[in-house]
Amino acid sequence: MRTYAIWWLLGTTLEVVDLDFRYENGYKVFQDINLKAEKGKFIAIVGPSGVGKSTLLRLLGAFLKPEKGSVLLHGKPVLRPTPLISMVHQSIVTFPWMTAEENVALSVRMKNLPKDKVKEISSRALEMVGLQGFNDLYPKEMSGGMRQRVAVARSLAADPKILLMDEPFAHLDELTAEGLRQDIYNILFNEESPLETVIMVSHNLTEVIELSDTVFILNGNPATIVAKVDIDIPRPRSPRDPKFDQMLDILYSYLTRKGVKKQ
Amino acid sequence: MIQAVDFITNSASIGTVNGIPLMTITLAVLATSIRVLALILLSIISGWLLAYGAIKSKIFENIFISLIEIFESVPVITFFPVVLIIFVDRIGGGLGVELAADFLVFTAVVWNIWMGEYQAFKTVPSEMVEVANNYNYGFLDRMGMIYIPFSIPRIAANLFPSVSDGFFYITVSEVFSIGLTTYATFGIGTEISSLLAQSNYYGVLTAFIIMGIIIVIIILALRSISERAVAKYTVDTDMPIMRRGKPRIRQTARFSAVASLNTLGKLAKYNRERRPQKDPEELFSTTPKKGKGNIIAGLVALAIFLYIIYSAIELILSVSAKEWDYLFSKTPSLLYGLMLDYLRVITITLISLFMALTLGYYFATRKRVEKFGIPVIQTLSAYPVPAYFPFLFLGIYPFVDSIFGSYTEEALVLFLGFLATFYYVFYGFWMGVKAMPSEYNEIMRNLDLGFFQKMRYVIIPSTFPYLISGITSTVNSAWGGLEIGEYWPHIAGNRTLQVHDGLMKTIDVATSTGNIALAAWGSFLFAIIVAVYSIIFTKKMMDLAKKKYVAEEGIYSV
Ligand SMILES: Nc1ncnc2c1ncn2[C@@H]1O[C@H](COP(=O)(O)OP(=O)(O)O)[C@@H](O)[C@H]1O
Ligand SMILES: [Mg+2]
Repeated sequence: MRTYAIWWLLGTTLEVVDLDFRYENGYKVFQDINLKAEKGKFIAIVGPSGVGKSTLLRLLGAFLKPEKGSVLLHGKPVLRPTPLISMVHQSIVTFPWMTAEENVALSVRMKNLPKDKVKEISSRALEMVGLQGFNDLYPKEMSGGMRQRVAVARSLAADPKILLMDEPFAHLDELTAEGLRQDIYNILFNEESPLETVIMVSHNLTEVIELSDTVFILNGNPATIVAKVDIDIPRPRSPRDPKFDQMLDILYSYLTRKGVKKQ
Repeated sequence: MIQAVDFITNSASIGTVNGIPLMTITLAVLATSIRVLALILLSIISGWLLAYGAIKSKIFENIFISLIEIFESVPVITFFPVVLIIFVDRIGGGLGVELAADFLVFTAVVWNIWMGEYQAFKTVPSEMVEVANNYNYGFLDRMGMIYIPFSIPRIAANLFPSVSDGFFYITVSEVFSIGLTTYATFGIGTEISSLLAQSNYYGVLTAFIIMGIIIVIIILALRSISERAVAKYTVDTDMPIMRRGKPRIRQTARFSAVASLNTLGKLAKYNRERRPQKDPEELFSTTPKKGKGNIIAGLVALAIFLYIIYSAIELILSVSAKEWDYLFSKTPSLLYGLMLDYLRVITITLISLFMALTLGYYFATRKRVEKFGIPVIQTLSAYPVPAYFPFLFLGIYPFVDSIFGSYTEEALVLFLGFLATFYYVFYGFWMGVKAMPSEYNEIMRNLDLGFFQKMRYVIIPSTFPYLISGITSTVNSAWGGLEIGEYWPHIAGNRTLQVHDGLMKTIDVATSTGNIALAAWGSFLFAIIVAVYSIIFTKKMMDLAKKKYVAEEGIYSV
């Protein structure tokens, strides 16, 4: 109880402490990962392809077990997956045999609520992601962007404190991705939402600067956090803002490690 | 009286140790194994030619595929008595008996293999075909360099069920009686029954052990062949492998057909943004458009069934008006027997399904159990039930009797059916779970769903197409099990296993008492009703599966 209060006061929601990880085949992905996610923040983890971003998210959600170190939610170790830390996948995941509403309802079901309550919550979640009126569509009747909204609604309906998103726009075409990006911040941090922190993985720097408050840069082999960058450009952010370009330069130089300037 | 001469048994006293004809037993096991493997090989080779024909001619393709689907869903063993009569009567002698046994095994193994090869040929990447066109390859080059290698992984995936099927039927089809005549062809099935007749129980035990060893060797060999084949030739494979973030198109042959049919939704405009269909499987629409082909094939299949039965009736006896009267008067009780058999099949299927869902899930989610359990189940399933069931019968009879009383034999027959069929739905379900997108697993863990919620909302729907093809095979084999179990004279010594009533029993009894007319008439009724029913049922379920329950469509990725 006391630890909880302290963590809450400090504003840290999710924390990773001295984490090492290796896959069963012996491949060591991480060494000494440390990061703190603060309340009310949109956090991005960036890194080159194959560095271990998806793996890190899976460790944060306790889908994988660390070799050493721990993941703490409000100061308490996270030992197995929980609806409190909800995951949105890179490949857009829906259940084709369920309508949009049923897809969302899946994450309300374990609460054993009456039927109409489940329906109400799912409808509201769909509304939150901008899909009001599409309740009865099946995934195959929806575009990729709509499906990803359904997936986000499903995650939100579980009432999570932390939302993990693994390159949520990667499988969308640029226009659709841009549409969803513009919406997502407001969706995630509206006053109804129980979310405290969003952690997004991406290798798209523009997207990261557009959305996040804090960026952790993951690099090396085995990988570790090589830098933490705060982005304080006021929202809504425009890529034409000169500050935006500056940020891009900074992130880029961390990623290339040698400090190469943007061409 | 035994017609086919038991020549090896008589002359093989050389290899006899302590009264156990080791040499003969080993030869008999080898003969049976070779028979099974040779028939599988025959299926493979004929399948290549037919599949090539199918990709060359649209009309042939339609008929070919529909025929496979129909024959796959009809339990051929139930026609066995009638088929036997044709072979024995028309060809006769040792050859007729041998061919009858071979025919039965062939029909048990061939459909899966043919379908898999056809699927493979259909999905050869267009680039490869273009290369072949570019260099003007002839038929042999095309087959040898492109189509055949490409079909290997799928054939490998279909080998296990085929081997099991083959062994199951071969042991029952090596020896059979029509009227007072017993026909036999050399093999372990025959050998075991002759050892039993001599009360040589050590001999029988030895036969089991030797057969077990050889089956394990075959399974291990097939495992390593298929692993190597998959490693070498895989472009897309049927082996269940968990991959992350890639489109997952790796299903059973039947399931591929299902998965590749992308039914478009109601709202066409929302489909514009669908992922580009890069997968070769989808580039070549795998299942031909059905329509007329289906109807033609249905008629052809029906004609074949009718011909088989007609020739039985026509060739062996000229039925008099009085006999027709007799047959018609028997019809209501035959139909009643058929209804009882349906109840039995349903019971067996439900129990198998229940076991599959629980045990299969347990296996699929526990790596260590799986690593050990799956090969054990594969081996057990290849071990022919009819060969060891008499011993099980002796062993568990008192126990079952104490529970079921006057329904003991009924329970034992159901148990036999279960042993013969459980494997299919189990394996299908297990494959389905393995092929389930890994993301689904993560979502279930993430949401902390309970067992029943997982089953109801995620696992059963996403394994539905696999379950359906597993259930279809289970139903077929359940009929096979009933055909063997409902009337089994001399199952142990002088005891006879039999149920009170049932169509399979009536047919069996009629066959063994020489009442061919009744056997043929019973088969005829069975053919019409069961064939029509299973075709319609299977088709409905498959249509539902491909319309709604394709887990792969739940993953949207470029
Ligand atoms: N199941 C696994 N077993 C072994 N290595 C893996 C496994 N999954 C991923 N990897 C390896 O771990 C590294 C990190 O993968 P991933 O987290 O997917 O990277 P990212 O998301 O940053 O592109 C890669 O080199 C990948 O090949
Ligand atoms: Mg990734």
